[in-house]
Amino acid sequence: MNRHIVFLVLIGTLFGVLTVVFVAFPRSTFSELEKRDLATFPDYSHEALFAGNYSRDISAWFSDSEPYRDRFMALHMQIKDGMVLRRSGDDAVTFHAELPGAETEEDVVADDQAGERENRDIADVGQIGANAPAKVASGGIIVAGEIPEVRAMMVYKGEASGGKAWAETVNFYKKTLGSAVNVYCMVIPTPIEYYCPDKVKSRTYRQLPTIRNIYSLLDDSVRAVDVYTILGQHASEPIYFRTDHHWTPLGAYYAAMKFAEVARVPFSTIDRFDVHERQGFVGSMYGYSKDNAVRRSPETFVYYTPKDTLYSTTYRSFTLDSAFHVKSQSATYKGDFFMPNSYKGGSSYSMFMGGDAKVTVVRTSGKTGRRLLIIKDSFGNALPPFLFGSFDEVHVVDHRYFIDNLESYIRTNGVTDVVFVHNIFNAYSLGVAKNIRSILTQKPKRL
Amino acid sequence: MVFSDLFFLFVFLPAFIFLYTGARLIDRRLFSGRLECEHPFANAVLVVFSLLFYAWGEPVYVFLMLGCVAVNFFAGKVIASASNHRKIALAAGVTANVAILATFKYTGFFARILADLGIPVGIPSIALPIGISFYVFQSVSYLVDVYRREAPAQRNFFNLLLYISMFPQLIAGPIVRYGSVAAEINSRRASAEDISDGVFRFLIGLGKKVIIANQFSEIADQFLKSDMSNLSTGGAWIGIVAFTFQIYFDFSGYSDMAIGIGRCLGFHFCENFNHPYCSGTITEFWRRWHMSLGSFFRDYVYIPLGGNRAHQFLNIMVVWFLTGLWHGAAWNFILWGLYFGLIVMVEKFAILPYVSRIPRPLLHLYALLLIVVGWGIFYFDDLGRMGVFFHSFFGLSADHWDFVAESAVFDRFWLWIVAILFCMPVRRIVSSLPSRIFGESSAGHVTVALGTRVVVSALILIVSVALLIGATNNAFLYTRF
Repeated sequence: MNRHIVFLVLIGTLFGVLTVVFVAFPRSTFSELEKRDLATFPDYSHEALFAGNYSRDISAWFSDSEPYRDRFMALHMQIKDGMVLRRSGDDAVTFHAELPGAETEEDVVADDQAGERENRDIADVGQIGANAPAKVASGGIIVAGEIPEVRAMMVYKGEASGGKAWAETVNFYKKTLGSAVNVYCMVIPTPIEYYCPDKVKSRTYRQLPTIRNIYSLLDDSVRAVDVYTILGQHASEPIYFRTDHHWTPLGAYYAAMKFAEVARVPFSTIDRFDVHERQGFVGSMYGYSKDNAVRRSPETFVYYTPKDTLYSTTYRSFTLDSAFHVKSQSATYKGDFFMPNSYKGGSSYSMFMGGDAKVTVVRTSGKTGRRLLIIKDSFGNALPPFLFGSFDEVHVVDHRYFIDNLESYIRTNGVTDVVFVHNIFNAYSLGVAKNIRSILTQKPKRL
Repeated sequence: MVFSDLFFLFVFLPAFIFLYTGARLIDRRLFSGRLECEHPFANAVLVVFSLLFYAWGEPVYVFLMLGCVAVNFFAGKVIASASNHRKIALAAGVTANVAILATFKYTGFFARILADLGIPVGIPSIALPIGISFYVFQSVSYLVDVYRREAPAQRNFFNLLLYISMFPQLIAGPIVRYGSVAAEINSRRASAEDISDGVFRFLIGLGKKVIIANQFSEIADQFLKSDMSNLSTGGAWIGIVAFTFQIYFDFSGYSDMAIGIGRCLGFHFCENFNHPYCSGTITEFWRRWHMSLGSFFRDYVYIPLGGNRAHQFLNIMVVWFLTGLWHGAAWNFILWGLYFGLIVMVEKFAILPYVSRIPRPLLHLYALLLIVVGWGIFYFDDLGRMGVFFHSFFGLSADHWDFVAESAVFDRFWLWIVAILFCMPVRRIVSSLPSRIFGESSAGHVTVALGTRVVVSALILIVSVALLIGATNNAFLYTRF
């Protein structure tokens, strides 16, 4: 047979198979890898058609929801990985080595004599993995270290003078709620603050100056919770995920310990928790960085459940529209705080309360007479279990999804302590500060 | 829509192949040898899909293109007649085309200049219709070729619409001259060899775009698009060399895909690139880069202005000014055009007469350096950022080398090697190997050549599809001109 015809038959067959797969096979709706819902087929309108949006959205839907998307993406990353020239002689990874100088670092512990402005002066701590190799992956994400121990981190670009609006918001809460309610501010650094290799230092800014600035602007009556120091001292332990953008439950444990100390409540140490381990966890940073080395560096997801504290959890959950606005809310219902069976694999971090879009109330067997409200982003999800023994009730509100008037919520529920638990990216954001300020005094939203 | 879009590859293209093949069969049964146009159905399918292709991205501006074709159709009729007004019709037709281009591409730019000069004018914001620079030039080519009696005027509106709107070359060239395809609109043949070569050419183009250019665009943007305050000298070089590769593989990849699809349909579009980065001088570079644009300006501007017979210097600078301006409504493009105009002038007197005496590697280095600097001017339409870039480029930055530049080299090491290789005529050398080893038309030659072609094509297709999934930077650079 003519060789041109042979060529056309073979390539035509391959092309035909791919066409059938892309056109006729069931489309993907969620990407486990990227942790997001994929594009849906656009709604038709004349305006969208004439503006060119309709056709563009169809193309975008087609290229976003392919059958076997995650498998193709994995191949995509493998191909890119193949372009790398591996060099020998790069420094070994030193992530879990002992933190240089950690022992001699002055511990900024709350001191009864320190007066009202305790915890404002945060000491700098040394860094880990300074000599580790590093590269910049998709989205400017820093991937440090070598397989199977790489760590993917978002760079921080906040100025030292930032966070003023955050401090003002916290101060506003204190002023509004008055002396009957203790208000605490906990700003959580992200891993790049502790694990940034020297090579990439110029790509990111230090977070400590911003945190110091925020804490210096807090009114005396607001209690600052310096988790920066305690996390830095334990940075040689797995307090942050290497492959996810969150801290680990262990990181949250140290922060809770610090918080309990500042709030002067009893605290259950980690030996009073059952330890659960899950192997092979690869979190959100794989999808963000699209870097194969992250996939090839799975880690152990460790979480802790209280051994002897009794507690019951109730939820009011929200459904969201495509723009993440609250569309409707459920009646109050009882549920588990930990949902390990519903959230597995890369979604494991959502096992605490099943994610963010709800108001959670945990009633505990504690007899302290104190009731805590945690206003938080997703970092705050891992924190509450360590405080079940410290408060009689723990309320958890995500600032993005709260539709009632928060002040009346606090008064009605007899909340005695309000803590802001946010990572530095949110604490730096003017929009988030404004949003949190507004929910305190807003009129309850009608759905 | 662009060729490297999954929707194009797996919805538009299969649907087109299916209907076009059907139409060809009907044409062959019903009209073979009976009509002047042998492919009425196939041409109708091609026109409908071309309009759909264009309207997919420009649902409103498709009417502008139709209007443009109508104007040219009537102007062409008058020009082709024996009337005394044919010169006036040519002038009117060309003016209308230039006016359309000026209105939609340059109004904002000129208004800004007037505003900068203190003349109070509003600055309109007109979205640039995709491909207008290409189809307006093709329209001018039609009118001039008809005027020069190099090709007959189209008597059928839809055939002219087919020439202007044909989707393979509609939005980013090559600028197909009317004379070169006029005959093929009515009568063309595509043998198995044509289709096989066309498919292979299309896949080579797809690979150039998706596997090479898209990756280099990530590298270039990493250095040149973001905050450049910490840009090291090494970073500036890596960034602009990455862009040098990106623009070549992007644009020549598009041309390959256009030529490949054309070949499958029986059209023979002109070549657009001939390994431009192998040039020894800038004059040679421009004979190898975007050849259809260069020859357009030579035949329709430079020679009519008097060429090298009268005020050559002025003619050269006019052509280069227009070349720059054609690429975009911004000062940097004009600067870029004049930069090459001046170099070409200087070369005429200072280098070309002695070129045989200068060692080739030295010439090559000289040309590449000037080309890369040229892309530096081309990249930044913000002159302030361009200044910052050249500051670093010429070694005046605080750091000369940093890890970002280093990782851009090592993390895409094999990509750099592949790009350097494919800037050279590797494909030509490799494809001639089997015949040299086994002898022309021997069984061994046929088997090896076929095997290689199948494996390379399949690999390119699979790798490209995988890289297109999750790709964020897939637009062709030249579709914005």
